[in-house]
Amino acid sequence: MLRALREIEGGVRLSLNAAGRLPVLRKPPVLESFLRQVYFTGVTASTGVVLRASLLGVLIIAITMDVLDADADLAVKILLLVVFREVGPLAAATVIILRSGTAMSAEMAMMRISGQTRALRYLNINLYDYLVVPRVAGVMIATAALTFYIQALAVAGGLLFSPFIIEASFLELAGRLFDSFTPIDFYYSIIKSLLFGFAVAASCCYHGLNPPDLTNNAVPKVVTRAVTQSAMLVLTINAVFAYVVFGILFFGLVKATV
Amino acid sequence: MSAQSAARPEAPEAKAAARMALRYARHGDREMAIAVPMGSVRRLEFPDRESKSAFVTAVLKARCEANEELELFGQPVRNLSGGARQKLRARLGALSPIVGLINNLNAWENISLPAAYHGKPPLAEVAVITQEVLDAFGVEPRIFLARVPDELGKLERKIAAFARLMIAGPELAIIESLDEGLSRAECARVAGFEQAYRRRHPAGTLIFVDIREES
Repeated sequence: MLRALREIEGGVRLSLNAAGRLPVLRKPPVLESFLRQVYFTGVTASTGVVLRASLLGVLIIAITMDVLDADADLAVKILLLVVFREVGPLAAATVIILRSGTAMSAEMAMMRISGQTRALRYLNINLYDYLVVPRVAGVMIATAALTFYIQALAVAGGLLFSPFIIEASFLELAGRLFDSFTPIDFYYSIIKSLLFGFAVAASCCYHGLNPPDLTNNAVPKVVTRAVTQSAMLVLTINAVFAYVVFGILFFGLVKATV
Repeated sequence: MSAQSAARPEAPEAKAAARMALRYARHGDREMAIAVPMGSVRRLEFPDRESKSAFVTAVLKARCEANEELELFGQPVRNLSGGARQKLRARLGALSPIVGLINNLNAWENISLPAAYHGKPPLAEVAVITQEVLDAFGVEPRIFLARVPDELGKLERKIAAFARLMIAGPELAIIESLDEGLSRAECARVAGFEQAYRRRHPAGTLIFVDIREES
């Protein structure tokens, strides 16, 4: 219990510190580290998700039409709703946790254990500035970009490949998609993915910089904790968003019924 | 400062303290007292690893334990404020295992990192100093600077750390266990560090720290 409270306090402090120090991104080595993070988290991850994201759209349309006995109009609406609001940001967050969260927490734990963070301190380099801020900012941008990329691929895949399994043409599906699309879907998913990126990066940085002990055995423990906590944070944020948006938009504010 | 006190000549002890780059004393089991004048080169030998590491850590952190006393540039560090301590630390530098290289940066990025982060000296000057150091030790820059620390030998790592130290240009530099892990031929090469440092920082204070070898 005490450890959990300490972790929450540490995580909040780290997040506030990172958020308050964003101007340090102007410093050349911090900017370089930020760009490196965007590249490794976003760009290199993008190649691996092409096929999976494309098939996701087909799967959603096929299942909707088969299980719900829906027409193409409803199928496209559900594709939009599911891909843009839920699956897109969640899929991107999952990829980020598995690829970058693990790497980031292990790298930082190794730096802490091998005394590299101490070396930075002796060089009067602030750890938040050099290690945390570029990673948090980089992962946030990369998560938003990857989310958009996955959404675009899933929708495009759904529209391109669905005509092979359902009775609707590409143009018909595309027309319905553009009719149903609202900018809110886009903003919603971008805000959510930025928050996912922030939570994942902050959690991984926190655990990486605070290993349970300073031996090599601590690295796998750090990675496990970072990944578990990142996943929990992402699911919690997703639940809060779903409650706020769907609760207010569709059902009004939740009221107790007597 | 009042006019009266400003007019009064400085006490001889205060003058002497101001001319000292470092005064360190340790009480308890292993008593020791060290005084290093400004601009000098000193070789200090400690009886064991713990006392050596306690000394280096105290100086680099500008902070001392209850059983230690430390003055840097005539200023006792015990009750310093955070800002004053930071200012004092900016005047210190070290080539030491505790201020090692960063593993995911290549040699050039390691050497230029503090300058790039703090914005001084300019990168053009960093390049000149680096070239000077590499020339002095006969290292081919193109291959050396592109390598990450794991691809460098022990001597090369020390040269990279030394170049970083030269760029920072501290008023007081500590070089810890310089010969550790080096062959006899390599030891002869790193002996040139003192000359190279002196050439660029003639007024700087250099302290070599090592463990006394029991015969």
